[in-house]
Amino acid sequence: MNIKEIARKANVSVATVSRVLNHPENVAPKTKERVLGIINELGYKPNWFARGLNFNKTNTIGLLIPNILNPAYVEIAKGAEDVANRKGYTTLLCITEGEVKKERKYIQTLIDRRIDGVILVSSLLEDEDVKEMKKQGIAVVLIGENKGNSKEPIVRIDCYAAAFMAVNHLLECGHTQIAMIYGRVPEMENKNKIEGYEQALLEAGILKNEDYLIKEENTIEGGYVAARKLLGLWKMPRAIFTTSDLLAFGVIDAIRDADLTIPDEIAVMGFDNIRMSNLMEPKLTTVALPLHRMGLSGARLLLDVIESKNDGEMMAMREIVLQSKLKIRKSCGHKERISEIF
Amino acid sequence: MKTNFLGLQLKNPVIVAAGPWNRDGEGIRRSIASGAGAVITETIVSEPVLDAMPRIAYNGLGAQNIRLYSDVQIEGWEQEIDIAKSKGGVIIASVSAHTPSELAYLAVKMEKYGADGIELGISTPMGGELELIASDSEKVYNMTRCVVENVKIPVMVKLSQNATNIPKVVKEIKRAGGSGVSAINSIRCILGVDIENRAPFLPTYGGYSGAPIKPLGLASVATLAQTVDIPICGIGGIESYQDALEYILLGASAVQVGTALMIHGRSRITEIVEGLERWGVENKVKDVKEIKGEALSKLKSFEEIKIAPLYCQSKSISCTDGCNKCIEGCMYGAIQRKDVNDIIVNKNLCTGCGLCTFLCEPKKLFLDW
Repeated sequence: MNIKEIARKANVSVATVSRVLNHPENVAPKTKERVLGIINELGYKPNWFARGLNFNKTNTIGLLIPNILNPAYVEIAKGAEDVANRKGYTTLLCITEGEVKKERKYIQTLIDRRIDGVILVSSLLEDEDVKEMKKQGIAVVLIGENKGNSKEPIVRIDCYAAAFMAVNHLLECGHTQIAMIYGRVPEMENKNKIEGYEQALLEAGILKNEDYLIKEENTIEGGYVAARKLLGLWKMPRAIFTTSDLLAFGVIDAIRDADLTIPDEIAVMGFDNIRMSNLMEPKLTTVALPLHRMGLSGARLLLDVIESKNDGEMMAMREIVLQSKLKIRKSCGHKERISEIF
Repeated sequence: MKTNFLGLQLKNPVIVAAGPWNRDGEGIRRSIASGAGAVITETIVSEPVLDAMPRIAYNGLGAQNIRLYSDVQIEGWEQEIDIAKSKGGVIIASVSAHTPSELAYLAVKMEKYGADGIELGISTPMGGELELIASDSEKVYNMTRCVVENVKIPVMVKLSQNATNIPKVVKEIKRAGGSGVSAINSIRCILGVDIENRAPFLPTYGGYSGAPIKPLGLASVATLAQTVDIPICGIGGIESYQDALEYILLGASAVQVGTALMIHGRSRITEIVEGLERWGVENKVKDVKEIKGEALSKLKSFEEIKIAPLYCQSKSISCTDGCNKCIEGCMYGAIQRKDVNDIIVNKNLCTGCGLCTFLCEPKKLFLDW
């Protein structure tokens, strides 16, 4: 079954059938109806791969995330897929494990499949990689900082300010012995969070304690291991700031195993505000990222790039900075209920 | 009665405010059909979330709402605005976000989809933060600036009575290139507490709107009008054409109606528009600018108020049967009953406070030398 047979049966030209499929708004309603009727009757399905070759467009995008076990990335993916799907795009999800090699391999596969664009979440790719992708005609949008300094359209939050705000909250709660556990990934964001943490302590006149800064895998287990190390110090910290809620969950587990109470004996601050953080006991105080919105915005920017390439229009907005917010709950010892409501 | 607002020529100054009644193209089309000079979309956000249920409470005077945002995704508004404009009309897109770039992105999209203007919702009284963005003049500047730099259509900023520094904020809006301001947004409130259940009517703080906030809206509009030269859209408790005129006389170029429509339906818009038209014909006023701000010259500083020895006097109108409001309400004990139909004022005790003239329903009492 091909387009020629449809045209013959509908008694129209091949060009008209093509228009029905690709620009139905330009076809007289009656003709459109007749052609669509025959397409349905004969069960004709356009060959998407061939279509991609013809139009140089496959209506497929790639979404590269570091880890699918971290619900934060799933929320981002949900947002991106949501917008892409509504605009008629299919999203291919690729898990990079925070390994640049795997990321590069995926990019090559996606290029071979002639996808229209990619969203890189907390990418470790360099400028050169991005340039190569663009040379191949692939639209690129970043969510979160990437390693290079490329000027690609980006959706991000200010991780430095977010961490500064989080540590300040711990200081306001009266803590001075504040440790930080950061994940191996996402590399760039965590670097900024460390700067925010150190700046907040510096401004409070608290001396840096190297033992209080621990790097681990960005998992619940990583959080558990790091917290056991901190609890074993002769001068144990009284508050722990983590760069993800997953790490915080591991920390809470370790604190329970050590028979300590949260927040009275030790406070825990998360980062991300994944849905489960509200279900922990005590409910986790954390830095709320607009995760789903980051996904929505990322996909919107990507489709803007793809569409502006087609229309030859300039893109008005290339960078969307979203707001993070301190979500005060019960794990840091804050007493004013009013701050939990707003 | 036509008006020029934000550089847009409107056939009348009545604008249907942002709200669920303008949640889609069809709703907006109906608002336009009710005769309004312009219509504002329900507030569009980049991430629609599920609405709380219930989310509106009403006590017969004013209403509390919690978070009334559009549940249509940005992309969906392309079609909704098409539908809304299918029979003409001026449409302003209300957008709300937390950062300048997020806000500008929404505005850019709405401009592309055909909106004639933008209203920035930065003063929502609930969710968000304890301190409103609208009270941080630097943030307001950055947000307005970012939007203005990215769109060609006019941008107005919706202000809040919760912010006590609106003169400072409005100057920043003008400096940022904003084309106008609208005031006031609903006011942070708890409508009431159910004593039986020992719980507030609605489960969180909300925005108070309706007739009771009109005096606050009037004060804000008068303040803005006397701070900088920027077009103002008056909002707050407008239920009749007279209410609209009050805002105009204090400096508004246009007004918005929301809660009155929510409670009484779109026919209220038509009534207000027709009332203004009638009043305009009777008073030979064709354009809002002819009367805009006329009452401001009568708004004085305390020292400019002439202290005149006024006291309460009564006309020969019969008292309402059994009414003792003026007697009970006279804090100086100056009013006594003369007979069933009349009262007598003791000039030596009366201090000319004027309260009785508002309490008297048949308008029997007035102040004079």
